[in-house]
Amino acid sequence: MSEQTKPATGLETVRLTKSFGGVRAVDEATIAFRDGQINALIGPNGSGKTTFFNCVTGMIKPESGSVLFRGKEITGHPPHRIARGGIGRSFQLCRIFPRMTLLENLLVAVRPTGLRQLLAPSREAGAIERARGLLVRVGLDHLENAEAGAISYGQQKLLELAGVLMSDPDTIMLDEPAGGVNPSLIGRIGSLVRELNAEGKTFLIVEHNMEMVMSLSDHVVVFDRGRPIAEGAPSVVQEDPRVLEAYLGV
Amino acid sequence: MRNASDTEERVGGGVDAPRAGGGFTLPGWSRPAGLAVAVALVLLFPELVPNAYVLSAGVIVASYACTATAWSFMGGFTGYVSLGHAAFFGLGAYGTGILIRDLSLQPFLAWLLSGLIVLVITIPIGIAALRVRGASFVIVSISFVLILLLVFQAWEDFTGGANGLNVPRPFADLYRPDHHRIFFYLFVALLAVMLLTWWVVDRSRFGAGLKAIREDEDKAEALGVPTRDYKLAAYLISATFTAWAGGMYALWFGDLDPIFQFSILLGAYMVLMALLGGVRHLLGPLVGAVVVGTALEYFKLEYGDTQLHLVFTAVLLGVVVLFMPDGVIPAAGALLRRLGPQQSSIREITAEELLERNRAAAAVGGDADGRGGSGVDGSRDGEEDGR
Ligand SMILES: Nc1ncnc2c1ncn2[C@@H]1O[C@H](COP(=O)(O)OP(=O)(O)OP(=O)(O)O)[C@@H](O)[C@H]1O
Ligand SMILES: [Mg+2]
Repeated sequence: MSEQTKPATGLETVRLTKSFGGVRAVDEATIAFRDGQINALIGPNGSGKTTFFNCVTGMIKPESGSVLFRGKEITGHPPHRIARGGIGRSFQLCRIFPRMTLLENLLVAVRPTGLRQLLAPSREAGAIERARGLLVRVGLDHLENAEAGAISYGQQKLLELAGVLMSDPDTIMLDEPAGGVNPSLIGRIGSLVRELNAEGKTFLIVEHNMEMVMSLSDHVVVFDRGRPIAEGAPSVVQEDPRVLEAYLGV
Repeated sequence: MRNASDTEERVGGGVDAPRAGGGFTLPGWSRPAGLAVAVALVLLFPELVPNAYVLSAGVIVASYACTATAWSFMGGFTGYVSLGHAAFFGLGAYGTGILIRDLSLQPFLAWLLSGLIVLVITIPIGIAALRVRGASFVIVSISFVLILLLVFQAWEDFTGGANGLNVPRPFADLYRPDHHRIFFYLFVALLAVMLLTWWVVDRSRFGAGLKAIREDEDKAEALGVPTRDYKLAAYLISATFTAWAGGMYALWFGDLDPIFQFSILLGAYMVLMALLGGVRHLLGPLVGAVVVGTALEYFKLEYGDTQLHLVFTAVLLGVVVLFMPDGVIPAAGALLRRLGPQQSSIREITAEELLERNRAAAAVGGDADGRGGSGVDGSRDGEEDGR
């Protein structure tokens, strides 16, 4: 993506804070992610990455600080509003609708406006066509009528990604897309992310798989104890002594 | 050999197993035909019954079918189990009675209006109640009906208190059986409207959102479904239909008592009937109401006003929750599929045919086995992901 045509920052947090009991899961985190890039958020277990995601997407209300998307404050907005604003997300422990078919899973992400559309059939030709296209894209089209709870975990992760894409976000937040997935599927997820990025989607990916992070991302933010401690290009971050310390606990 | 063909069938079925929808594998015409017979039976019911007592029991079952279906708009679609839906039944019933008494409205106008009033009252109640989920929502729904019970008992000037409220009959000069017959059809008509609404909602985008809430509310919200508004809308539809069922009951029965109108037991019946029949199917709550309602009426007839029906209700609820989480319709469907066409086709072939077939199977044996083995879904992962 060319740097000039896009606004510099998409998603931004300013002194974002959330604690659980005595633990400051996110601690005055100030980060800016650029639009059009593949951003990675890495950090040791329990460093607050998922909590950060939850605060940004409205699933958890932060105590203080703010979240901005393209310069507009979205702090404390309900999740569906943030989603409709163009930020899609996946969950660390993959979440799909297990008793629905794959196709029905995707149709949930269609957003009707007004009473007429609300009561229009969910299985509408245009939506089905789009959903099928996405299933082809993630390689699950042969399972379109299978129940989502019956497919493998890796396939469920792909389904979740397809669901997020169905809602047509321009920023996509993935919480450990490679977690618990077999290596060949990790490859598929990686190339899909690259393709989508080439089509203009911004990514923010939390991931422990360093190989994936280093090969995929344009920009890496390192999180420790609820705040960023380093950021930069993958190669730079890899060498940073603070990162080594946080990871190796030296 | 029998074993071999069995496993082959099961593997073949395995590919289809995750297929959802729960449709029966009956011939295409059997569904509309069965429906037509059922509708005809329902419409002829008042002509077929031996006496007015059975007819009045039929009216009660029809009213149960209305309440269970109305309950299902909330409890079924969103999975929010309300044990306090009797509140809306009672409000609809009392509203109808009080509007007739105080404003001398035409009975059916009072009935219509009463439901709409309940709709409006339910907005703030729904907003408050839907702030919580799961068990907390159940408790809130119960406390709501208990509060109304106390209010309607205490506010004697307005509600008649424990003395009850007399609702004038809409058709004063009719004999009892005719009265029952008319109300049987009125309840069935109300039910038909509900089922039609159910059908529209079920296939709509709104319905898809509601079902997503039932499965994973946070996930639905994250995909952009305004879950609170959806839940509230479902709650309002559910409450209003329940109120209309209550109002109809008031016009039919003619005598209201807070103890009966605002009872947790009535709410529990709605839950039981809907779950027994199955909330994923249009006709589930209706089927559940017919089964449970008929059983309850039978118990009343056989054993009088004992507490036996409570034991029965509790046992039935336990059985349903433990063994048929999706209700009798899918359970019966699964049974049909297992016992039905497959087995009969095996029985019908002769020993010679079987031998012939086995020989043929042996010829291509290895091949068929191989295909069967890799056809199971999970193993696809490894195969084609190398790219
Ligand atoms: N709902 C919760 N209640 C209490 N504490 C929580 C909750 N969620 C997270 N925490 C705590 O907040 C801290 C940050 O957790 P979080 O899940 O955000 O970390 P993470 O970086 O995503 O870890 P991981 O890499 O293991 O997923 C941890 O100490 C965790 O125990
Ligand atoms: Mg996490």
